[in-house]
Amino acid sequence: MERRRFLLNLSLAGAGAAALGSLPPGARRALAAIRSAPPGVIVRNDWPEHWETSIEALGQSFHTPNRVFFVRSHLPVPEIDAKSWRLEVAGLARAPRSLSLAELKGFPAHEEECVLECAGNGRARYGLPSTSGTQWEYGAVGNARWGGTRLSDVLNRAGIPPEAKHVWFECADRAPLDSTPRFLRSIPIEKAMGGALLVWKMNGEALPLLHGAPVRVIVPGWFGMASAKWVTKIRLEAAPSDNHFMVRGYRYNYPGVDPAAAGPVQELRVKSLITSPLDGAVVPAGRVPVRGLAWSAGSPISTVEISSDGGTTWRPAKLGATGRGAAWSEWTSDAELKSGEGVTLAARATTVAGETQPPAAQPNAGGYGNNSIHVVTLHARG
Amino acid sequence: MRAARGIAGLIVLGALISATAATTPAPNRSPATHARALPHSAHPYPAEFPAGNGHLIAERACAICHSPMLVTQQAKDSTGWEKTLATMEKWGAPVSGADHDTLRVYLVSHFGPKRK
Repeated sequence: MERRRFLLNLSLAGAGAAALGSLPPGARRALAAIRSAPPGVIVRNDWPEHWETSIEALGQSFHTPNRVFFVRSHLPVPEIDAKSWRLEVAGLARAPRSLSLAELKGFPAHEEECVLECAGNGRARYGLPSTSGTQWEYGAVGNARWGGTRLSDVLNRAGIPPEAKHVWFECADRAPLDSTPRFLRSIPIEKAMGGALLVWKMNGEALPLLHGAPVRVIVPGWFGMASAKWVTKIRLEAAPSDNHFMVRGYRYNYPGVDPAAAGPVQELRVKSLITSPLDGAVVPAGRVPVRGLAWSAGSPISTVEISSDGGTTWRPAKLGATGRGAAWSEWTSDAELKSGEGVTLAARATTVAGETQPPAAQPNAGGYGNNSIHVVTLHARG
Repeated sequence: MRAARGIAGLIVLGALISATAATTPAPNRSPATHARALPHSAHPYPAEFPAGNGHLIAERACAICHSPMLVTQQAKDSTGWEKTLATMEKWGAPVSGADHDTLRVYLVSHFGPKRK
């Protein structure tokens, strides 16, 4: 951490923020290497950190370990002293307050198990000729136990007037240039009161800085951008935030549709992932064991089906470990593969509510919400 | 190509396939573990801007806030890069009037749209 601070000071000294851009490449590389990515991670951007979890790593455990859990930060990771950190509860709150970490931890503890998935997960798989944003493939997703307290408890203590319809989250991260918008998200009051958490533990460990320490928001069942990291202020407001990341970012802009009418990116979409065999694997012809994961916004997974003939026929997989609420489910199956190169294997999940994965999700300009059926190509020999 | 054919097959056949009536075994709470050594982290995109007329502008204007990797993984046409540049300049990226077009041409030249 000292090395990072030294480099930051070096970069920001004298000429101001612009100096960072004039750092020699070696110094910038050193800045990025300070939080070097562990095995099992695909670095899609080194600073700010955009780390994807490899499918192989996702397949190793029901709870995605913190060290390989995907990271998506809009702005550089802030330096926060947990001892002096405060959480303000303000806006329309009847009794605005400022809580220390110890005071926040005095609220009833609660743990929730749920999937966190980046809205852009799968963006690269849309195959768009023109792209924007980080080119995530499959692993901007993870499943963890999130420990903290219910947001509803904190809001109730502060007093919620009837005119408060939205909850805004202000965060400590900021860009090197002040003219860049701060990251800010808001969620409807119903969502805030219906299961959102203020979190300081992840898989039973202290929440890592990269994941929003000292305190982040977790909104189960919604894409990751709603789960703001490094939160410092909660505002009860009558209207949703008009921040860039609400109004322009995270909207489903479909071809031919007026952007002003683009709907917000919110709930997770039902999705499954084949974690073994991996795409491109060489497997023995015959009966091949297959396993993977499936998740949704909250409706339980009812079936996962496997096809080894391009979608002509589907066989049900066996559901294994299943988490509560918006956690994912493990599944196992096997497939009879004839000898050949380029044999495909596909997995399709369906929820109790009847939501099912499309063969190909409709592309949108932002590359959001790609829950297309996962297909791996195998080489069956022997 | 074979994967593409497989996906195309799924798309064509998807609408014809009725939902399965298979019964699902009751879930349990015994997560499996499949731990083994993972390969080193992967870095799929260049972390430096490629040399060319405009790369020093990119170094100066873009790398204030983010790694070149965020750029080197993109593929956009001229309109797409113009839109990105307009947003970045609005957010404070120091690009002078004369440098603007040079930078856009550099970006299109190195990170233009993908060919199908």
